[in-house]
Amino acid sequence: MADLFDGIVMAEQRFHGEGYQEGLAEGSHAGMAEGRRYGALHGARMGSEIGCCLGFALTWHCLLQKCTEEKNSKKIRALDSLIGMIQKFPYEDPTYDKLQEDLEKIRGKFKQVCSMLNIQSDFRIDNERSSLTF
Amino acid sequence: MPEALSLLCRISAHPESRCWALAWSPSGALLASCGGDRTVRVWGREGSGWACRAVLADGHQRTVRRVAWSPCGHFLASASFDGTTCVWRRHEHGFEVVASLEGHENEVKSVAWAPSGALLATCSRDKSVWVWEVDEEEQEFECVSVLSAHSQDVKHVVWHPSQELLASASYDDTVRLYREDEDDWVCCATLEGHTSTVWAVAWERSGQRLVSCSDDRTLRVWQRAQGHGSEHSWQCVCTLSGYHGRSIYDVAWCHLTGAVATACGDDAVRVFEEVAPASPGSPVTFCLAAQVPRAHAQDANGVAWHPREPGLLASCGDDGTVAFWRYQRPDGL
Repeated sequence: MADLFDGIVMAEQRFHGEGYQEGLAEGSHAGMAEGRRYGALHGARMGSEIGCCLGFALTWHCLLQKCTEEKNSKKIRALDSLIGMIQKFPYEDPTYDKLQEDLEKIRGKFKQVCSMLNIQSDFRIDNERSSLTF
Repeated sequence: MPEALSLLCRISAHPESRCWALAWSPSGALLASCGGDRTVRVWGREGSGWACRAVLADGHQRTVRRVAWSPCGHFLASASFDGTTCVWRRHEHGFEVVASLEGHENEVKSVAWAPSGALLATCSRDKSVWVWEVDEEEQEFECVSVLSAHSQDVKHVVWHPSQELLASASYDDTVRLYREDEDDWVCCATLEGHTSTVWAVAWERSGQRLVSCSDDRTLRVWQRAQGHGSEHSWQCVCTLSGYHGRSIYDVAWCHLTGAVATACGDDAVRVFEEVAPASPGSPVTFCLAAQVPRAHAQDANGVAWHPREPGLLASCGDDGTVAFWRYQRPDGL
């Protein structure tokens, strides 16, 4: 008798618990998939940006090496510095705590190199914009 | 108190527009102003007043936000919302553009010349600070560093009075300092304390302290900590609150007298003086020495102390005028 009532009385709690477990499993699965997609997308963007920078730097390094003008030595030094920063960048470690900071430094160096070479650096990936204008 | 700051002269510098900033030439013979009318104007003394000596109109497509003279006085740099910084060379009959520095992605907010004249710094809404090397003979400017330490719009840059140490103020509520390290520039200190946009910074003559002004309606005085060797350790030694009714847009620390002037969004111009410490080691305090509540008909945007004549102060505002003031330190301070 007691068991019968127990089944009824406890039904809500039991179904609640089961529902919670099922939801948790499903949510974790969906979250994992979403996180994976997000990581892949942003990782790919970052990789493509840095890869583009490296290709650009190596090409210019190669071009400038051919002419021995003294004015080029500064440009070559800046390119060396950019290449060095990219080579030291730890792509394989997404938990590296200075990832964003280092990426900003690479972007800054890239802009400096573009300015020295007199090239428009309209290569830009993030579209974050502040709305304040004065 | 009103007689401590008396009006000498007022000119309609940028009629029908706003006047954003002022800069005295190193000798103090000329004052440059810039504004929303896309021009830079250069003023010189004439009799008891001031007359326009040049209008630099063909350099920029948008508002000119800041101007800066080179330490030699032969060049003038102007930072504009059109994203460029122009460098003008002064000659007998006027000014000509010798370089237009491009690179910032959007509005350039400020420009400053290093005391040696060999470096120029610019900052922008694109959150970056650029350092340029100046080749005076060739009149060439080469970017030596792009610094992205701030997380928001950078409002102001200014060099240490004698060293190659740069300070920048930002919408991210901080002031940052930069120095050269081997082959590149690095951010060597972050001054945190303001609770809103930092609009401007000014160095004391010694370079041991600086003052910052903010949207949080306070002034903060920062001091370099002693005994840390080459480490840049700065601490806030004084916060001045309760004096300003709105955002403080500009601050100037007089290198002749030590007085600090501010330009505020409540239309007022104020002057503060440091109170001599009762004993060595007692806290740094400043007091209000003078104020003109309606110095401008609208927001006051800029203040600049004359580099040679103690007590001569210029201010400018949204009303498009430039005002010249005589400041006299009140007795008993």
